[in-house]
Amino acid sequence: MTDLFVLGVSEIFQIDILIVILLGVIAGILAGLIPGFTVTMAIVLTLPLTFGMEPIMGVAAMIGVLVGGMSGGLITAALLGIPGTPSAVATTFDAYPMSRKGQPGKALSLGIWASFLSSIVSLVILIAIAPQIANLALEFGPWEMFSLIIAALTIIASVTGESILKGLIAGLFGLLIATVGADPIAGITRFTFDIGVLRAGIPFLVVLIGMFAISRLMNSVERTELNKDVQQKQEDKIKGMQFVLKPKETFLSVIRKPVNLIRSSAIGAIIGAIPGAGGSIANIIAYDQAKKWSKESEKFGKGHDEGVVASEAGNNSTVGGDLIPTIALGIPGSAVTAVLLSALMVHGINPGPLLITNEPNLVGGMFLAFLVASFFMLITQFLGIRLFVRVTEVPTQYLVPLIMVLCVTGTFVLNNRITDIYLLFVIGIVGYLFTKYKFALAPIIIGVILGPIAEVNLRRAYMADPDWTLFLSRPISLVFLILAVLSIGFTIWQSRRMKKREV
Amino acid sequence: MGEIVIGFLLILLSALIYFNSGDFPQLNETHLDPGSYPKLIAALLFLLSLMLIMKQIVTLVKTKEFGFKNGFMNFLQKQWNEYRLVIFMLVVLGLYILSLDILGFIVSTIIFIIAAGILIGPIKKKNVITISIISFIMTFGVYFFFENVLYVRFPNGIFF
Repeated sequence: MTDLFVLGVSEIFQIDILIVILLGVIAGILAGLIPGFTVTMAIVLTLPLTFGMEPIMGVAAMIGVLVGGMSGGLITAALLGIPGTPSAVATTFDAYPMSRKGQPGKALSLGIWASFLSSIVSLVILIAIAPQIANLALEFGPWEMFSLIIAALTIIASVTGESILKGLIAGLFGLLIATVGADPIAGITRFTFDIGVLRAGIPFLVVLIGMFAISRLMNSVERTELNKDVQQKQEDKIKGMQFVLKPKETFLSVIRKPVNLIRSSAIGAIIGAIPGAGGSIANIIAYDQAKKWSKESEKFGKGHDEGVVASEAGNNSTVGGDLIPTIALGIPGSAVTAVLLSALMVHGINPGPLLITNEPNLVGGMFLAFLVASFFMLITQFLGIRLFVRVTEVPTQYLVPLIMVLCVTGTFVLNNRITDIYLLFVIGIVGYLFTKYKFALAPIIIGVILGPIAEVNLRRAYMADPDWTLFLSRPISLVFLILAVLSIGFTIWQSRRMKKREV
Repeated sequence: MGEIVIGFLLILLSALIYFNSGDFPQLNETHLDPGSYPKLIAALLFLLSLMLIMKQIVTLVKTKEFGFKNGFMNFLQKQWNEYRLVIFMLVVLGLYILSLDILGFIVSTIIFIIAAGILIGPIKKKNVITISIISFIMTFGVYFFFENVLYVRFPNGIFF
């Protein structure tokens, strides 16, 4: 473990990599800050820029964006009561009342410290757990890998979106998209229907950019969305923003209640490690738990420090948790880490249980990039917060076309193929329709990235031994399958119970 | 309503995949051929989409929201108001993508940013000027960054 760290130090502490991480953090904060522009979008658009870089540099840049983005939502949440990203929803509960009471500086400082310290806690959890899981996963045969992917997909389908049925449909749709093009074992071209555009398959990144960026942009030009946006900006202008940050006092007040911080960070890290669940769920659960356990629970919702700390610690620590399955198993838990993995694959590095053994300097570098990014986040937030606040004033009519151009360019740069852009257009429309009818997009993305791996492992398993019951008789594989069934069963049970309550 | 349409489309898709999976060349690999995994997925997708359609029809029957409350034209009018910009944006984006090969990256990107900006924002002198300036900076910035740093060749089109 220490050798991983030492390797990481030598990889990361180079001036160009440090600069790239800093830029990533700033980009992430901005992305988290602008309502309607998500962290996922930012990280998707960073990817084309990293093609020319070394793998470690590219990954470091993305981790910067991720860490920055998770803390960016804090600013609008505290000052305006509008979460810049879904993962800052619970932050509005206490940070906004606090700044209304005339302490916006305190709310922001508390949030920044909580974000930073919880990142560190989750890093510790990540470093402690990921190598163990990877070691365990080295024992996996194709049966276990296939069952693991089934489990991951069903869990994602059950935690995201409106209903499990829609989640599963989305996941299967993703798996189907991934079968277009050459088949992964024999290289036979499938489902191109003699359309030249499809012959190379549907690249994962095109799906990602189309689903997450184009469809989101379409959503933001709907009439009601635009009206909401105008209103928000007028409100912004009414409030002259004056605040004094108090780094020292707030640091002490966060540190004085370590239980709250550590509990919220642990909740965040665990939720982050579950595929599909991320900051948007973690911040609410962490807030809720903090309220339950606190001695002063009646103060929550009226501008209590513990509430701010819990929510921000909850969402920032998901980053570390999310990286656990990503690094240890090669199974991304969210769209964001899926992009991270694909960045590795673009450079010819195969994610999976062997990643830590084969590329120790890369993994160490990722850990350290995470640490460095957290420090940069702390510093840039404290120094630059006044400038960041201004960014929310950028009008939609400038933002939308610019981001669209970035999407198109990013797609083109990927393979230098114009036809990919045609695919992007179609997938953007499909993604828009899916979001319109409340199908979650995350299962589609994870389906597309895990589809080929699932197929390879299924067919390998069958080649090694054509006995189907091995999926059930091998204990670890069975555990994963049971998990999959349980997650479906639990979600159905839960939604039934909710319905009964409503009636 | 929309869910039912999506469900039907997905059923069509899964049928398409399923019936195109039969005739792949068999290799000496004796067991699963290239078509069997897609067939499995397609069958599952078919089943779930069917379930979704049934569920939606049941809720539709229960809530009895068949007709349009304020008449069909009113409904269309409302939808048009809400989604007009989305459709326009899609058209502009589509034209932009098609023109990339013909007009080249620089010209079509500049036109696209200005057109989209005017479409979304108010048509005022100040707005048009700002968006024009932004579009030039953005286009050339992206172009030179990718050409010089990442050595990407953008389509040049007929003008250059």
